[in-house]
Amino acid sequence: MAVDKPAWQNALLNSIEVGIVVVDTNFQVEEFNQFMENHSGVQASDIIGKPIFPFFEEIDQAWFENKCQPVFSMNTPVFVIWEQRQYLFKFGSSRPITSSSDYMYQNITILPICANNGQVERICILVYDMTDQAMSKARVDKLNDELKVISRVDGLTGLYNRRYWQERFEREFKLTIRNNKPISVLMLDIDHFKAVNDTHGHQAGDKVIQSLAMLIRKATRETDICGRYGGEEFAILLPDTNTETAKIVAERIRKVSERYMVKHDSIEMHFTVSIGIAEFSPEYKRPLVWLEAADQALYKAKENGRNQVIFAE
Amino acid sequence: MSLPVLICDDSSFARKAMARSLPDGWDVDVAYAANGEEAIAQIKAGKGDIMFLDLNMPVMDGYQTMEAIRKQDLPSMVIVVSGDVQEEARSRMMSMGAIDFIRKPIDNAKLTSILSKYGIYDGEASAENRAKDVSITTGSSIDEKLNAFREVANVAMGQAGENLAKILNKFIDLPIPNVSIVHSNEMSMMLTNIDMRQSVSAVSEGFVSPTIKGEALILFNDANVAALQQLLGSNTKMSETSEIEALMDVSNIIIGACLNALSQQLSVTFTHNTPILLGIHCDLEEIVNNNISRWEKVLVIEIAYAVSSENISFELLLVIPDRDIDAAFSRLLMSQQAMEITISGEQGVDL
Repeated sequence: MAVDKPAWQNALLNSIEVGIVVVDTNFQVEEFNQFMENHSGVQASDIIGKPIFPFFEEIDQAWFENKCQPVFSMNTPVFVIWEQRQYLFKFGSSRPITSSSDYMYQNITILPICANNGQVERICILVYDMTDQAMSKARVDKLNDELKVISRVDGLTGLYNRRYWQERFEREFKLTIRNNKPISVLMLDIDHFKAVNDTHGHQAGDKVIQSLAMLIRKATRETDICGRYGGEEFAILLPDTNTETAKIVAERIRKVSERYMVKHDSIEMHFTVSIGIAEFSPEYKRPLVWLEAADQALYKAKENGRNQVIFAE
Repeated sequence: MSLPVLICDDSSFARKAMARSLPDGWDVDVAYAANGEEAIAQIKAGKGDIMFLDLNMPVMDGYQTMEAIRKQDLPSMVIVVSGDVQEEARSRMMSMGAIDFIRKPIDNAKLTSILSKYGIYDGEASAENRAKDVSITTGSSIDEKLNAFREVANVAMGQAGENLAKILNKFIDLPIPNVSIVHSNEMSMMLTNIDMRQSVSAVSEGFVSPTIKGEALILFNDANVAALQQLLGSNTKMSETSEIEALMDVSNIIIGACLNALSQQLSVTFTHNTPILLGIHCDLEEIVNNNISRWEKVLVIEIAYAVSSENISFELLLVIPDRDIDAAFSRLLMSQQAMEITISGEQGVDL
């Protein structure tokens, strides 16, 4: 049993907003403060002198004994953080009304308490309420995820924007140099797009762009990296894809575009696309050289009369 | 004739500390070597009948030196003096013919009892005069301070390695600690064990005493966390939580043991801060940029731990702000002297 303490020390121990439990080498409880009483409903007088585990079934005994082992053997503190395990003691949240978590998030510090002979004969378990930090971290993470999406995505089409597409393109370029897998890039442009805008207005033009983006998304895999590169220009990166397979994908997009009818107000519009393909080759020393090859092929497709797919040489 | 004794250690601080703890009554002629190569030459010149040999050294380490002594059948009785006190280190050296093993920092009562056990010296342990003869520091140049901290780190690293070896049940390869003063934003350049191209996870724990405040950082490449997690025998599945658990387990042991060794050598008691996750699966740059906002000079002790049998490596950085370096150094000198006084005070009771 713990030695009697002066009243003010007891008051301190019991008013602090940290859970304090002291146990001996057999995990018998020697100290159990008010914070612990209030959150667990277990009275200090009931638990003191008894092993802790039967009172708290949520504690995985083998796991906890394993955590405490270095505290006893090495005389060092051990920390368990809420990111690793939400709680040691399954307590309700300290603010039952406005907290968004039902249960308390806890940081646990397990401290060695040495006897005069230098042996660790007791350990002190400190329980810190981290619920607010955990909740605000969750909010920040969620916001960051949303921001990430916003900063990566083109508002009109929902495809990646040019900046992020290029970032991904450069990353894939570096990976490809190392792992030697086939990969192809497509540059795609809507034929006579200026005429659509001039005849039917920008909103109609936007509708065409959106439709094509939708067709591209349907024609590609989830692992393909599709971006809106400029006004009516799109770039598609096809990992694990050689020229032949890339051509199948490109032809699919070309054909469905040709057949697709865009309705804007009462106007019905058709459009076609030209596509340039370049499979990666080690002679492309920089990402932009590779992309330039696809762009040259696209240019040739336009020269040859549009609505077609051309390979880079 | 005085007995030729050789002290072989790469740290001049450690060589002096060793020389200071030789008993006053022992009639010896002390020579020094900074690595195994120098030691072998000294032994051949007849200056190393007894050798105190460190393990972790550049050029030629303790294991290689012992091997050379055995192969060439050189006349030297070797007592290993090391911060690395793993069982495997001990048995490797003993099997090659070392007569005993003594833990750094040197306790000269223990040293005397070893000497007496082998019939080398049987007198008083007191080393007060020796300590007066060999001053710990000849100046206070920054190189000398770094040298002293390297030795402190060496001892701390060894104790932490020993504890980790017990828990992982594997031999931990210990490097020579890398100690330097850099700007805080250049710290990432010191990371010899981290592959910058791969994702990284990191834990930080602050430690506070009235004179010295600092931070211990542990950094892993994520591939290593997974390997370590298996080694720790986590029976849970490979979820993110259990990766954090592996990270925390290793951090608790390494940082805890290192700080214990530091506080012992500096005679300070640290308050340990609850560790935080600096980043999980991040770019190293992201971690550095997001977390190091102050641009100041820091003392960095870099220890590149490895479990080479499992292809695992990770980094421990002990970082102390520039303004605390002098305080830490003077604590170190004070506690070195205090330790010797208590030891020579206690030996009357012990013997």
